[in-house]
Amino acid sequence: MLKKTLSSAVTSAIAICAALGVSSAARADTTLTFVWHAGTCADALMDIAKDYPDKTVKIVPALVPYGPEWHNKIASEFAIKGDAFDFAMWDSQSTAEFAGGGHAVKINEIFDKSSYLKADIFPPASLSRYGEYPDGSGEYYGLPANQDAYGLMYRKDLFEDPKEKDAFKAKYGYDLAVPQTYQQARDIAEFFTRPDQDLYGWGQMGGREYDFATTASNSFLWSFGGELYNPQTFEVKGYLDSPASVDGVQAYVDMFKFGPPGSGNWGFDEVNAAFQQGQLAMAMQWFYFNGSNADPKVSKFADKTAFGVLPGAVGRDKKFRRQFSVGGQGMGINKYSKKLPELTKFMEWYFQPEQQARYAKVCQTGLKAVLESAEWQGLNSYNRQFSTALAYLNDYWHLPEYPVLLDQLQEEVSNAVSGTKTVQQALSDAAEKHERTLQRAGYDIKRGDSTPEVPDQKISPVGVDEVVVVN
Amino acid sequence: MTQIDASNRKRSSGRLMILGFLSPSLAILLFMVAYPIFSLVYYSFFNFSALRPAAGMKPVGLGNYEFLLGDPELWERFVFTGEFVALCVSAQMLIGIFIGYQLQKNFRGRDLLFTALMLPMMMSPVVVGFLWRYMFNSEWGVINYLLTVIGLGKVDWLGQTTAALFAAAAADTWMWTPFIVLLATAAFRGIPETIYEAAEVDGASPAYTFFRITLPMSAPVLFIALILRLIDSFKQYDLFFALTGGGPGSSTETVSFAVAKTAFSYFYTGEASALAVVLLVIIIGLSMILVRHLNKMGERY
Repeated sequence: MLKKTLSSAVTSAIAICAALGVSSAARADTTLTFVWHAGTCADALMDIAKDYPDKTVKIVPALVPYGPEWHNKIASEFAIKGDAFDFAMWDSQSTAEFAGGGHAVKINEIFDKSSYLKADIFPPASLSRYGEYPDGSGEYYGLPANQDAYGLMYRKDLFEDPKEKDAFKAKYGYDLAVPQTYQQARDIAEFFTRPDQDLYGWGQMGGREYDFATTASNSFLWSFGGELYNPQTFEVKGYLDSPASVDGVQAYVDMFKFGPPGSGNWGFDEVNAAFQQGQLAMAMQWFYFNGSNADPKVSKFADKTAFGVLPGAVGRDKKFRRQFSVGGQGMGINKYSKKLPELTKFMEWYFQPEQQARYAKVCQTGLKAVLESAEWQGLNSYNRQFSTALAYLNDYWHLPEYPVLLDQLQEEVSNAVSGTKTVQQALSDAAEKHERTLQRAGYDIKRGDSTPEVPDQKISPVGVDEVVVVN
Repeated sequence: MTQIDASNRKRSSGRLMILGFLSPSLAILLFMVAYPIFSLVYYSFFNFSALRPAAGMKPVGLGNYEFLLGDPELWERFVFTGEFVALCVSAQMLIGIFIGYQLQKNFRGRDLLFTALMLPMMMSPVVVGFLWRYMFNSEWGVINYLLTVIGLGKVDWLGQTTAALFAAAAADTWMWTPFIVLLATAAFRGIPETIYEAAEVDGASPAYTFFRITLPMSAPVLFIALILRLIDSFKQYDLFFALTGGGPGSSTETVSFAVAKTAFSYFYTGEASALAVVLLVIIIGLSMILVRHLNKMGERY
């Protein structure tokens, strides 16, 4: 009896050991974890990754909501030099912070070793935008995995309605069309603002969180000829609060008059929800969301929605500029990851045209072969506009102090939106805080004799004499 | 002589035994509480960022404290935090005591109602923040819908400073009043029935009974509830993170919000440590005053 018991115990032990052996062999498979914000594009990456031929490698998402917790999750892991994730999609502006802190793998080293992953498979501007630090150095810390731009969406049923067209022309003296300037956008927004019909002319973000207000306000600021700072002298006063910058942010704040009441604290969710319910005639929104806004399962107005390029503005110097915020993320690699060889192999596969063409059906790829293909522009109803939009992108500061500067500008623009401060006061206070932040970080601010009324004339000018029609 | 030696040995081995039993707990306490506090104080005297270790740690003495205490925006955050704490803790105590008093009585379905009332407290503050954010949405939120149903105008709850303060206090009160209800009910039910019977025989009115018997006799427990809520409200961060994001401007940023932002968004580790020390000193001071008061109250009743 004892013998029998003993023998069955030994058999069980062997079985358990065998099972443990099997499971430990299963655990030996490589997992490549990535951090990104949850959404359509992360889902697309996961969907594509399921077909990765090397089945011993598993791509695991660690998704967070869009906003500060996304940045903070990556930054916190870097601060403890941890390897809880292997790669991450981070905002173009964060490259300076993460690469400057020495936490990101320099992609040039991968370019040198890989037979496929080379700088020239990406458009130079895209590679620079999503991965170069310092600017113009030729050193890259991210690949253009998900390009994005601020865009315009509008109700084509309203814009093409003959009655609306006639009424608009009678009131404003010119044809109703997709606006080329914010001056026109204001007229059209005013025209369609009919609270009694629960219809409003314009929707835009104004929320205090992360970069909600400033990605929108910067698009106005740059288009009116303003600048955030002088990257040569690090002067902020006289640039961020210059007359042209104030014109731009004032135009942005004024547009809330043509949005639903309380839209001053909206984020992208609220803009989408209002548009999908038919409450807005036009809205400023990232191309990122066009996939869902064009989907009849998501939006009841999907078949009536059209996409365009955001307007520009005729500034006080009578020059036309069209500049708006770059969105999207670069794919960066955690320097503390121990799986760089496996990750490089995955990236070599993932950035092949076949995978990127799948990605481009819903989100914006950064692979040149796909962007230049004949099919790309016809893959959906907004890629053609996106290809135009790429020529008008501008970005925040590419400085390691970005999160501080961003938060300070968000705070002050939010003050202007809520009416707590005038636009002039808010921008002057933001400029004061920015200079203090830069000085504390050790930047030497070289004050010039004077500051320009229209800073764009001094810093990489883009102003032209005629309005450029793109939509 | 031999006897004295033996008694000394006994005493000494007893002390050693006490120390032996206590040492694991003491070690854990030192590691989990004392070490972080001391390192926090130590870091507060340096200018450095945990995200940029290569830049090193520059000693700045009291520089971080001088910078923070000279920043008018920090004082605005203290004022806002104080307003928030006063508003929501008063509301929670008043509503909680009222409901607790009603729930001490026996009636059909009381246990079910009691359990249902506890539900908000079981949710995460971030979830509560997002939930109320949608409810306070000026266009399609249920709060404004109800206001329009009774003929009132819509309020931009989260876009204006004063409205946002009341919105946050309402969300916090919804979440934490059940905590006061829980403690108040327990305290009220702990009062011996004979005291109420004696009061009834003496012809005491219900108001007299409540203010002269129920409240004083449950005061120590209610005071503990007040202390816990004061400290917890003072530290409030996650509710504001989800509900207002600190806005409009920075008008709904609590001190804890500023600590978290400075530490994990700005990664100004030295400055955030100094701010956390200031917050810690305030909370310890507040707790000491209240605990002292509690002790006096315990002696009285």
